[in-house]
Amino acid sequence: MRCYFDNSATTPLDPRVREAMLPYLENLFGNPSSLHADGLVARRGMEEARRDVATLLGAEPDEVIFTASGTEAINLALLGVIGETKAADRHVITSAIEHPAVLMTCRAMEKRGTTVTRLPVGSDGIVEPAALATSLRPNTRLVSIMAANNVVGAIQPIEELARITRAHGALFHCDAVQAIGKIPLDMRSLPVDLLSLSAHKLYGPKGVGALYVRRGVRLAPLIHGGGQERGVRSATENVAGICGLGRAAAIARAEMADDAARLVGMRDRLLAGITEAVPGVYLFGHPYRRLPGHLCLGLAGHEGEAIRLLLLFDDAGFSLSSGSACGSSHIAEPSAVLLAMGFDPVRARGSLRITLGRFTTDAEVDRFIEIFPRIVGSLTATNLQHYQQRRQQ
Amino acid sequence: MTTSAQALSAADLPGLDCGICGFRRCDEFAARLATEPALIQRCIHLTDHVLPSTGSSDGLSATPHGCATCSESAATSAPFSATAALPWRDSLDREFEFYLEHFPEDPGPREIIIAHNPILCREMDIQRGDIIIGRPLGMSCGCPITHCGVVMESDQRTGVMVWCVTGPLAPREQGFKDIGYYIAEGYEGLITQTRVEPKIGMRYYFQPSMCMLQWRHSGLVNYLNRTPAGLQVRLEGLWIG
Repeated sequence: MRCYFDNSATTPLDPRVREAMLPYLENLFGNPSSLHADGLVARRGMEEARRDVATLLGAEPDEVIFTASGTEAINLALLGVIGETKAADRHVITSAIEHPAVLMTCRAMEKRGTTVTRLPVGSDGIVEPAALATSLRPNTRLVSIMAANNVVGAIQPIEELARITRAHGALFHCDAVQAIGKIPLDMRSLPVDLLSLSAHKLYGPKGVGALYVRRGVRLAPLIHGGGQERGVRSATENVAGICGLGRAAAIARAEMADDAARLVGMRDRLLAGITEAVPGVYLFGHPYRRLPGHLCLGLAGHEGEAIRLLLLFDDAGFSLSSGSACGSSHIAEPSAVLLAMGFDPVRARGSLRITLGRFTTDAEVDRFIEIFPRIVGSLTATNLQHYQQRRQQ
Repeated sequence: MTTSAQALSAADLPGLDCGICGFRRCDEFAARLATEPALIQRCIHLTDHVLPSTGSSDGLSATPHGCATCSESAATSAPFSATAALPWRDSLDREFEFYLEHFPEDPGPREIIIAHNPILCREMDIQRGDIIIGRPLGMSCGCPITHCGVVMESDQRTGVMVWCVTGPLAPREQGFKDIGYYIAEGYEGLITQTRVEPKIGMRYYFQPSMCMLQWRHSGLVNYLNRTPAGLQVRLEGLWIG
């Protein structure tokens, strides 16, 4: 039986979410823009989902725009704000450890004349609010900082960062793709203007995301067409996906604290267990200021063997995530984050990311703790075993 | 902000009941704080977000000082900044003469390798198309990173193999053979950006563009051929640095 410990990459679909989606994949196929009964029933489902997402965020339903992904929501936030901004005011601040969806969008904006400042982070992966305060310029229009980092799980001081930004008169966008449903993000108390999220990190389906847009914030659309989503995001809506996101948001709101407390307990137990068995294990990032089920680990002396470890764990039935490798097509992530945190290239590429989720069980954690020292110990023994097996054949 | 470990009641906690401290509700957390005040560090809403300079309380956290696999801490602990990535300088700020790219028709950088025990090529019946993994070790081009790739040619008589380094996706999808340690005997590829005119028989510093550590290598040019895609080259006698 496989153990899925890669919930930051994506999460399994919650059966309750699947249940909520099925009617819209079967009989309730109407186009929500149609005026007839089939259209109305689809629209009703979609608007209920909008309410659920808004409630999770402490927002109003008309502040939620559905998109096809978290990446699209982020692109809409950044390019949409800059598209409404005079050329002279195009200064954007972000951090060095953002997801490529933010960093590559910033790079694209730079090519079109926007000035971008990338804030450094400390070795815990946290953006220092004082660094933001000193980087704001008279023409800073937008600040984009993630709520929690995908590689090390570091939770950013979003409230402080957003307050500094608002006091300056700029807009604040928060990439909450990793954080949504895991930590409280209430738009009634957080001075955040734009917030991106994705359903598939929240036990919902892939192919649907949302952007929270505070009332009064104007965005230039990226996709032009029939004027859906208040003209900001045209295209016939993915009704089943949106209803799945709505259900996922409602479940997250009801179960967030229970999930978090349980995951923190399992995470700490797992870390303590493997550290006791293998003393060379070390943790990237802050021990507590991190997402509930999130661990990013290194193994002293075996940093170059992350890929081999990943393969051995995979063979043993565990899905983990790791640093990148020579020749890999994904050389930007996750090492760029650890490099920005000040780690040398060997350590930065040698991380193992273990992310527990709603469906992780205590028995799976026990199994991992039991198997971990054996797998690390087998790093040097594998070749011999293989050789002996070949000899016997 | 409060970081002191003085006795706190539920009223002192933020009341968000977020669970991130590991307790379901703030009042449960407060009850435990009465006997274990140091646990207050677990409330991210109250504590300072800056990592203590001495590291975490349990001493587990990594600090970004030095390379774990070598002693060149001063050189390798610096963040990999944009300035370090300027042309003709590697990640350790050392100069080089050209970038080595892989052939566009290949799935990755092409290397001529030999397992430390060359008989493995025959015993493991390594053939074209096989996915293998191993780590370069030893007097020629040792590297701390395990490499994964696909075999392009194998000579089971001599043990010499030519492979393209492709990264970990292929072994994951198709299974793999583990050759343990190997020696990189030569590289083949294209020079598309250079600041010298390479000559056969000369040794150069160069930067393989797919090297994930972005460390310069040096090698002896023993084959050159000008092609429309760039200068085709074979480099042997490889060293890192």
